Parts: sequence; structure tokens; C-alpha cells
Amino acid sequence: MSLDQEISGAEIILQALKDQEVDTIFGYPGGAVLPIYDAIFGQNFLKHVLVRQEAGAVHAAEGFARSSGKVGVLLVTSGPGVTNVVTGLTDALMDSIPIVCISGQVPSHLIGTDAFQECDTTGITRPCTKHNYLVKDVNKLSEIIHEAFEIARSGRPGPVLIDVPKDIQFAKAKYTPKSEVSFKSHRIKSGSSEIDIQFIEKLIEHIQQSKKPVFYVGGGCLNSGPQASQELIKLVQKTNIPVTTTLHGLGCYPGEDSKSLAMLGMHGTYEANLAMNECDLMINIGARFDDRVTGRLDAFSPNSVKFHFDIDQSSINKNVKVDYHTNTDILLSLKAINDHIDRRGINFDQNQYDPWWRQIEEWRGKDCLHYEQGDEVIKPQHAIKRLYELTNQQDTFITTEVGQHQMWAAQYYKFSKPNRWITSGGLGTMGFGMPAAIGAQMANPEALVVDIAGEASFLMNIQEIATAVQYKLPIKIFILNNEYMGMVRQWQELLHGSRYSESYVDALPDFKKLAESFNAVGVRAKNLSELDDAIKEMISVDRPVIADIWVDKKENCFPMIPSGAAHNEMLLSKYDKEKPENQEKGKVLV
Amino acid sequence: MSNSSVYPTPINAFKQSKRSVLSVIVDNEPGILARIVGLFSGRGYNIEALNVTVVDVENNLSRITIETLGEERVIKQIIAQLEKLVPVHSATNLANLKESYEAEICLVKVEFENEDQDHKILNFADIYRTRTVQKRQHLVVYEISGTSERINKFLDDLTTISGIKVELVRSGPIGLGI
Repeated sequence: MSLDQEISGAEIILQALKDQEVDTIFGYPGGAVLPIYDAIFGQNFLKHVLVRQEAGAVHAAEGFARSSGKVGVLLVTSGPGVTNVVTGLTDALMDSIPIVCISGQVPSHLIGTDAFQECDTTGITRPCTKHNYLVKDVNKLSEIIHEAFEIARSGRPGPVLIDVPKDIQFAKAKYTPKSEVSFKSHRIKSGSSEIDIQFIEKLIEHIQQSKKPVFYVGGGCLNSGPQASQELIKLVQKTNIPVTTTLHGLGCYPGEDSKSLAMLGMHGTYEANLAMNECDLMINIGARFDDRVTGRLDAFSPNSVKFHFDIDQSSINKNVKVDYHTNTDILLSLKAINDHIDRRGINFDQNQYDPWWRQIEEWRGKDCLHYEQGDEVIKPQHAIKRLYELTNQQDTFITTEVGQHQMWAAQYYKFSKPNRWITSGGLGTMGFGMPAAIGAQMANPEALVVDIAGEASFLMNIQEIATAVQYKLPIKIFILNNEYMGMVRQWQELLHGSRYSESYVDALPDFKKLAESFNAVGVRAKNLSELDDAIKEMISVDRPVIADIWVDKKENCFPMIPSGAAHNEMLLSKYDKEKPENQEKGKVLV
Repeated sequence: MSNSSVYPTPINAFKQSKRSVLSVIVDNEPGILARIVGLFSGRGYNIEALNVTVVDVENNLSRITIETLGEERVIKQIIAQLEKLVPVHSATNLANLKESYEAEICLVKVEFENEDQDHKILNFADIYRTRTVQKRQHLVVYEISGTSERINKFLDDLTTISGIKVELVRSGPIGLGI
């Protein structure tokens, strides 16, 4: 194709995607995107994955992005097509996932007339995207697409939407390649690339002086790339400081390592939360002091000096006031710190934190993730533990839905590498996991991809099993079936006098038959003796599998910091009773 | 304060709050005002006054001036959030500049009945150096500019005159750092 040649808007979109090295797109056709679908028909570089509902497309794009580090792309039609992706865009914004959504719009001259399948797409999606565009001139289209990709992946990543009216898809213009677009720096908002040497020196000084330091690592470390996690590991080895990670930080530091305190927060470990509560130095690497992590703010880590690495200036001092911060990319910062230590030949006293580690070992001695697996009924924790033990020899990607199963997965599945754990944290979107697994499998065709699910969440996007079957994606849906919206039931038990209002999921389908009706494979484990075989069969079959694992219906997720409580007010089991005054305060929180 | 809104708007809600004037330079493109207003409503910040106009035609830039109320921590957060918006070049709290100037313009329509009122109105108009835009029997329209505080004082003084009817429009403050 010559660049002097005028091509249609639809062809420009395809050309720009090719230029951006996009090879996979998730979508669903409709009236306002037919010209783009026509362009997709006549090409072979781009693989289109037809989902069964647009929500599936956006979560698949998220799963694709999270598991590959690339930008996820989706294509939907106007009106209901795009309103169906609003949840997923919000999800991607909350969890900083780079995606580009192209939506069709009614022809320009019909905008504002309440035309068929018209909606104010940019208006609706403005608060749930990092940026969005309504294309009014086909001559600007190439530039807009390239800028959209740059915005999606730079700085703190996020979703970007491009709304393209149908007449613009037909109109002709010359294509501008990515290499010829010069981005305006104020619009891209990439973090600072300058190393703050004073920050580094202060940090090292504090590390040397502190007695009770802790690393608190979040999704920002993940978004800085796998190399950032390598630098973190180096720094931890040099300093001998314990590491706790947020839900999204899992995998940034190897979960099996002795310096890992595992996850912190509402369902984090006893040792992680008490270490946060009692530390004298907190080094926050790309976490945002989320309310699930901090618990009651006025009791949050009262005696620590806080360092905060975050590329997003608005995350600094938003919920918790910090003493020192840097907005430089985490990889650059961590690398500079490690280089600084090596260059100056700084040695850290390996015994400096011995009393601190002894204290931590004492907390670990509580064995807060202990559960009693009897002979018959499968404990959900045990199901995940066995899943981990039977899959950790191969490269495995885990996605989840939202609820108890998600927290158990975070507690009992150990990740040794970043980007292997894909979950909806900020927004908490039930129905996220299966389409996200489809996206992860598209990006990693050879890997094992398992969606750890609850039966209620799974039913929210169940239609996507057909997508997995159509594209021969051997994803595994591992349902911890307790016939309840378990986390809702747990809160009702703890805060609402065990009045289980509408949290029992009645009239469930037979998941095995359901799988078969979709031409997928169904397996089931009703009791402990069937568990391992079910997991092994699920892994060995090279087709999409729904594994229906019947687990203890009344099991609750512990440890737990109830809403409105502090880190040192954790409940370790159902026998721990919450203080009544906390209960009343916690009830009004989420 | 009486109002007909369904939302409670207690007068003392912002006791800890400080008035701040923010100056924001943005690309003049569709939706930019909606982005900014949406940011304020979505995150529960207050807008006391808002002014938007193109100030650089060649580079297609607008300057938005926002008067807001909030504790210092909140104002800092607002600025950080504003600077995250793609079309925003910069957001500045004028109070943080070494030198900055503020001005506002206000049009006031005063209806009166007798000579005594006319006399008092004229007196204030003179003191505050207003410009007379229109004058008819029993009606006068003034233009007054300056700091918001000065305009407030003029309006307060007018209310001491009983029996007159005042209707007004204000631009909200605009400001510039030097």
C-alpha cells in the first residue's frame, strides 16, 4: 500500500492496528461497525475472537493484556454494544490495565437525534476511561489511534476508547504511520524518567537505621514489567527485608520464598498485617493504600516512616500521608537503587533485623491459613492447595471471579512469576474470570490457564464457554461450588445475624451436563476421594473443561480484618468474635 | 441559607476548608469541560465558580479558572487529578505562586422606587467606582470589576438599602500568575 493512496476509515483502523503490532482482537459485530468488519474479512494478520456478549470481549482483552504485557484490543458496535463494556472499562481503569476499545457510532449527521442504537458513548465512558475520543474527521483517525495506544500503555496504564461514526469508517483519507506521529508530551503523561538520587540516599539511610522494615508491593511493580520484579528480588536479597504484596502484587515476589509474608489486607496473612502494623519503615512499591489493605486509616501503621514509589502523582498522599515519594518508573528506580548499592559497595548487616524476623516467625507460628480437611467433604482451601500442587510444575495462568474463591486462590495458590495471576481487584467484577482466561489463553496458547471460580460468578458470563469451544481454547473452569454467594453469605453471618437474604443460589444447572451441551468437557468431584482425579483429568484434557468441585457450603474465608477494623484486630477463625462496636461501624462500610 | 435543592447544603459544611483558585491550561477540544466538571462531581469536590475561555487561538488553548473549597490536602489531590487528564497542560493553585492577581466582573441590575433609594445607590456606585451600563427611571445597571471580595462588599452595602430589588450575574474569579 502506498502512503499517498487514500483508503477508507475502516482500512485505516486495520492499518493502524497492524502498525501497533496487534495480532488479536476481541469483538462482536453490529450495524455501526460493519465497515470495519468488512475490512477484517479481507485480511489475515489480525485474529478476531468472536465473543458471545460484549462484556466478554472487554474482560478477554484485560486477560490478554495482563498475561502478555501488551495492549488488549476490542471492537464493539454502538448503543448496547458499547454500554455492555462499561463495567469492563471501569474494571481496567481501577486495575490499571492497558486496553483500547474501538466502538462504532451512528453516522455523524444522526448524532443527537436519538437514532437507532445511538448513545452518548464518550459521555457514558468519560469517567471510566483514561481518555476517550469521538472521531469527527477521518484525516485525524490514524493519529488518534496511535495516540490512544500510547496513552493506554504509558505512565499508569488504563483503558482508552475511540468512538468512530459509521460515515467516518467509509470516508477516505491518507494513512499516517505510527513512526510519523509526534506525540505531545503533556498528553501522554508517562512517569518521570529522572532518578531522584536524594530519595535513594534517604531510603538507604532509613534501611540501615530501621529495626523493623517491610516492603509493601503492589500492581505498579507488575505494570513496570517483569524486569522490575527481578530488581525487587535483588534488593530484597541484599537487604533481608520481609515482603508483603497486595492482591495485584502477587507474583512480583516469589510466593514460596522465605522472605515472603504473602498477601496483606482484609484477607491477608496474620504475619503480613501485623508486620505492617508494627513496622518502623514501610517501603511501598507501586501500591495505592487501598481500603482493603489499610483497614481503619487512623490505626494504619502508626509508627512507620513511609516511602512511596508510584508513577501516578495522584496516588501520593491520597489515602495515607507518606514521608518520601518518587514518581519515577519503578523499574528505573529499583535498578538505580541496586546500582547505587553496588557502586558504593554498601553492605547491609544481615543480622540487623534478627529480632524483627524472630517476631515475624512468632506471628507465622499462628499458622493463620490452617484449615481442617476431614475425610469426606472437600474444603475449598484444600481444593486450591491440591490444584496448586498438581499444576506448579508447568507454566500456569490463574484467573478468578470475585468472592471467597478469589481470596482462597490468593491465599493458597503461590505464584513465582509476575503476570500469572489475573483477577479483578479494584472493581471486584463477578463474571471477570472466564473471559479473562480466554484472553490469557489467546496470548499464551501453550500455557495452562485455569479460572478459579465460584458458581455464582461463573453464571454471570457463562455464555463465553461457547467462545472457548469455538476457538479450541483449552481453558479450565475450576468451580468451588458451595451453592451460595459465599462472600455475601459470610458478611451476612458476621454482620447481619446470619440472615442469609438472597445469597443462596437456587436452581443451579448441572455443570457437567452444561459443559457437554456446549461441547466442552465436564468433570465433577463430590468428595475428597474424587478431588485429585478430577483435577488431573481437567489438566490432561486438551479442551475447555468445567470442573464442578463440591465444597463445604459453610466454610468462611479467614483471616479477616472486618471493615472499619485495624490490622491488629484480625479475626483468625469463626471462633474469634468481633467487638460489637466495631461491628456496628463496619456494617456501614463495604 | 434556604434553597430548593433536594440535597442538603449546610452552611458550615466546609469550616476546615480554604478557598482556592485554580488555573488550568487545557487543549481546547470537545468534552474537556465535561471531563473537568465530571472529575469534580465524581470525586465529591466543590466548584464555587468556573470560568472557561480560549486564550491562545494559535495553539488552541483554553484557560479554565476554578474556585473551589477544600483542605490543603484535598486541593493538592484535585490538582494531581486534574493533571492526569490527557488534554490538561498544567493546573496551578494561584495561592502557591509568589505573585498572582485575581479579578472578577459583575453586572448588577437595581430596581428602586424613590429618590432616597436612588441617592443611596448612586453613593455606593460612586464609592466602588462602578460603570453605569444603563440608567432609566427606577432602574439602573452597573458593571463592577475587581477582586471577588470587593464585589461582595459592594453587594453587601447595596442590601442595606431597604425596598430595592437586585438581580445580578458574576463571572467568577479569573486569575493570573506573574
